[in-house]
Amino acid sequence: MEMKKPFEPKILAFLCNWCAYAGADLAGVSRLQYPPTLRSIRVMCSGRVDPVYITDGLKSGFDSVFVSG
Amino acid sequence: MESVEGEAGNFTVTVRERPRYVDMDKCIACGICAERCPRKVKDEYNQGLAQRKAIYLQYAQAVPLKYVIDSDNCIYFKKKGRCRACEKYCPAGAIDFTQREKIHKIKVGSVVLSTGFKSFNPSGYDIYGYDSLPNVITSMEFERILSSSGPFHGHLQRPSDNEPPQKIAWLQCIGSRDLHAGCHEYCSSVCCMYAIKEAIIAKEHAGNDLDTAIFFMDMRTPGKGFDRYYDRAGKEAGVRFIRSRVHSIERAGGPGSDDLKIIYVNKDGRRIEEVFNLVVLSTGIEISEEMRKLAQDLGIELDIHGFAKTSSFTPVATSRPGIFACGAFAGPKDIPQSVMESSAASSACSVLLADSRNTLTQEKTYPPEDPIIYEEPRIGVFVCHCGINIGGVVDVPAVRDYAETLPNVVYVADNMFTCSQDTQGLIRDAVKKNRLNRVVVAACTPRTHEPLFQETIRDGGLNPYLFEFANIRDQDAWVHQKEPEKATEKAKDMVRMSVTKAALLEPIEPLLLENRHEALIIGGGAAGMTAALDLADQGFKTFIVEQNQKLGGHAKHVKRTWKGEDGRAFLSDLIGRVQAHKQIEVLLDAEISHVSGFIGNFKTTVMTGSAKREIEHGIIILAVGAEPLKPDEYLYGQNERVMKWHELEELFEKEPERLEQTEAIAFIQCVGSREPERPYCSKFCCTSSLQQSIDFKTRKPDLNVYILYRDIRAYGQREQLYKKARELGIIFIRYSLDEKPLVERTLIDGKDKLKITVRDQILGIPVELRVDYLNLATAIIPKGDEKLAKILKVPLNEDGFFLEAHMKLRPVDFATDGIFVCGLAHYPKPLEESIVQAKAAAARAASVLIKDSVEVEPTISVVDQGKCIGCGLCEISCPFGAIHLVRVTGQGYRAENISALCKGCGICAAACPQKAIDMKHFRDRQILAMIEAGGSR
Amino acid sequence: MELTQYLLDLSGIGRNRLQVRWVSAAEGQLFAEYVTEVSDITQKLGPFDPDKFELPLAAVERTLNSARIRWLLGLTKQITEQGNVYNEKLKKEDFKKMLHRAAEEEYQKALIMQVLEERPLSVKEMAEKTGLAVYTVSLRLNELERCNQAGLKQYSGNAPIFMGM
Repeated sequence: MEMKKPFEPKILAFLCNWCAYAGADLAGVSRLQYPPTLRSIRVMCSGRVDPVYITDGLKSGFDSVFVSG
Repeated sequence: MESVEGEAGNFTVTVRERPRYVDMDKCIACGICAERCPRKVKDEYNQGLAQRKAIYLQYAQAVPLKYVIDSDNCIYFKKKGRCRACEKYCPAGAIDFTQREKIHKIKVGSVVLSTGFKSFNPSGYDIYGYDSLPNVITSMEFERILSSSGPFHGHLQRPSDNEPPQKIAWLQCIGSRDLHAGCHEYCSSVCCMYAIKEAIIAKEHAGNDLDTAIFFMDMRTPGKGFDRYYDRAGKEAGVRFIRSRVHSIERAGGPGSDDLKIIYVNKDGRRIEEVFNLVVLSTGIEISEEMRKLAQDLGIELDIHGFAKTSSFTPVATSRPGIFACGAFAGPKDIPQSVMESSAASSACSVLLADSRNTLTQEKTYPPEDPIIYEEPRIGVFVCHCGINIGGVVDVPAVRDYAETLPNVVYVADNMFTCSQDTQGLIRDAVKKNRLNRVVVAACTPRTHEPLFQETIRDGGLNPYLFEFANIRDQDAWVHQKEPEKATEKAKDMVRMSVTKAALLEPIEPLLLENRHEALIIGGGAAGMTAALDLADQGFKTFIVEQNQKLGGHAKHVKRTWKGEDGRAFLSDLIGRVQAHKQIEVLLDAEISHVSGFIGNFKTTVMTGSAKREIEHGIIILAVGAEPLKPDEYLYGQNERVMKWHELEELFEKEPERLEQTEAIAFIQCVGSREPERPYCSKFCCTSSLQQSIDFKTRKPDLNVYILYRDIRAYGQREQLYKKARELGIIFIRYSLDEKPLVERTLIDGKDKLKITVRDQILGIPVELRVDYLNLATAIIPKGDEKLAKILKVPLNEDGFFLEAHMKLRPVDFATDGIFVCGLAHYPKPLEESIVQAKAAAARAASVLIKDSVEVEPTISVVDQGKCIGCGLCEISCPFGAIHLVRVTGQGYRAENISALCKGCGICAAACPQKAIDMKHFRDRQILAMIEAGGSR
Repeated sequence: MELTQYLLDLSGIGRNRLQVRWVSAAEGQLFAEYVTEVSDITQKLGPFDPDKFELPLAAVERTLNSARIRWLLGLTKQITEQGNVYNEKLKKEDFKKMLHRAAEEEYQKALIMQVLEERPLSVKEMAEKTGLAVYTVSLRLNELERCNQAGLKQYSGNAPIFMGM
């Protein structure tokens, strides 16, 4: 069953509230289409992202981690 | 605005509101109306380079973000009731064709005119072929071409064939510094900088192979950081700067070619023909006919160029009391200066209306927070359709049903518009009825709507921080429109992540800090005193700390402003008002030795001689000034005939017969400025030398006056001085930095004189001048404020001037709240600009001082004192100075958060080696739980 | 983030599993492009199997949580910009090299600690389980012993058996 499904990456994203999160909202307002792969967590600053969150993401089942500030 | 009746403090303003035909309360800016509207028209915002619909948003960032129908083009209005597509498709029922024009009568105490400018229209100026050559465009059009929201989505291409240009030319001073009919004699001030910016950005878009050339007369980049930018543009980005006024543009090559030929004379005097693919006209700033008429109706005097007439000493006051002007309506200026003027205008209004402050305000009350928030999590989830914005892509009922299966969720609902007034009521009721203690809304973005829902649950008796958002519109439905199933899966994941975090949310107490109402101003010059008066006139007790024995600073040397006003009379009046003011206390011969605390609560130690005084205050304004450089070149200090700045003027004033005996005078500009050691422009030296030379030449018409310069930076309307100086026969000789003038002592007929040898860059030959006096326009340098900067923990820039929070948008603030800057300590500037900046600093300061307490965002860092080992890495890493070490008896040092300064970024938490710091509302365990919830499939 | 990428390389997970991009509030277009790019990269990498990388992941996490690495990261700004107590500033590249060396050692130690958590092992067994050279295991084990993080449990024949502490 699992094998037949094409691989769809699942990516954990950390988005800075003031920069990338706002950029992502703007992409939405502009209706720019991109793959539905992200699962985002809003942080107040990308400096908040503890490196351990990255390994935790990979452990939890994400295929990669995207940090954008 | 139709009219303003009454007087300062009591105006009645008549405003005509045109119908929008869209109900602002209902429109959710989904854009379906514009999608369905069949009528296409030219998009003015994109300078006609793109099209919009008859129902449209002026631009994507418009506030409020609500659509509007352009009735001049709408089919319904043109063809009597036909079409109505927008009405049919609007999911919110926001279209209202019955709206009519409304007249409002508004009672106000003051009026601010910030109506801006109109860009010069080069149509009909046939030598540039703007009307006939498709690839000759204005700078405004080029701005839109470069913009990612512009007609070509930010791809650099030219209008005629949509091909990317290889070579672009900018022609400066289009419509400015030009005496042709329809043009303006003044300089528009901003075009040099924007042309450089456009050239650099164009290169960023197209890569370095793009050839860019800027044709100019004088490069006018006198603002803070501007000369460095100019230098980098030439040296690093490879923008070509060609000093030549191009007299016409022709079509190049044969038919079918849209390229353009420019003929110019290069610096060696050779005639060059060059072909470009695109030519940008750097068009200037002017005041529209419409605005001139409005000014006339309002009884506001305009100057000869159509700008609001203001005095250098009251730079935002128009001729009609109570009506103020700021920005380009009061003269050509750039963004930082406009922003400062806008704050200055608000200060002027506040002073005028200080007595009626807070007389129309009402305080909002909330029900007490219900203790159920401490029980087991009971989460309510509200999933929004947002019309068809979410519902058209994401299967909203499926998401709602999914949410019901999640742990701790006890209530779910889906709503057509969760943000609507009635849904707010439903949420409040659901909270009460179901004893909900956490709420999750899956809808749009927290950046715009979180405050609304926080308010709602607060009204429902919950702490506002027991709320969590899932952004399933902007970051899901809107961006995955063709993949509804995957978008639904994503929405479920997002809801699951938010619910997981919600279960772990904690109530956060609001942070209220007591606020003091006193101001401390460091520096008693024109800037410091102006700021002090604006604050004291609003009733705030103000301290001025001045290191000298008397007030006044450098302004005493300003005999006249460039507009001809008496500078000394102004200064003595200012000093008199400060000394007489009951709310101002001046501490002379005083120095700051220590400052502690934060916005609203500073404590400062001032030393007056050996006496120590502690002052408690709410804000600090830095106005410590700057000073002129004493040069060690051009015989300064060795020959008494060589002077600087106002020394010559003051000599002639003291001994008028000296001027009588004088045959020739020279000025050398940029002494110590715009050199590798000091790569900035001192901004007002050109104006000062022009003023002095005009004064001398007028008093003694047979006097020979020479100005040796690199660029004449008579920016804005100061250009008039340059024009007048040339008309009077003052001789301008341009020298280059590699060949500076040589000054020697000489004897002529037994008389002591100076011989100046300089290579004239225009004639290309060496010239020898014999003059009686040489006056040097030396650099304005900072006073060495490192110590003060350290005490206040505010930064200096690489030139030693104080560095503001944002060069354009926050020109008087520091990144540290509650501390402001104005005057020469920020950057060299003429008196009138110092006054504007001082009033701006006073306005920003007053916005803090009026409050009895400040409510700060409580989502800040918390230190676990048990885990903290006092290493101080958090203190080093915090960009806001918001966490520091304090001595704890028996434990050494421990970190402590200064809540007023903390912005909640969390850098300290990530930096703490002990993991002793956590962030409220973004706690480690909350984030880790979200990660885990998001990862599971 | 750079160090995390370095550790992901070291552990065989690969640095491409962590992507960092700067986007400003006005760059919606860029955001969409980056998501597409990062999705493509991840697509090419294929699914990540956390079970397969259980040991290296745990070791990377242990490394990132180690006092030495957290301290060094916390001190980056001070060492490269403000100078140490002797006012010496370290060049950014030199600091990076030093950080990488420290991370590699800490990672090796973390691997050892991780396998010792299951049961006490001999050096040879540890080398087999972690994929490290016998000599490297001895070196790191020595350091762990000095810090009282690992110690001798017993002998199995001639071979000493170590345990985590």
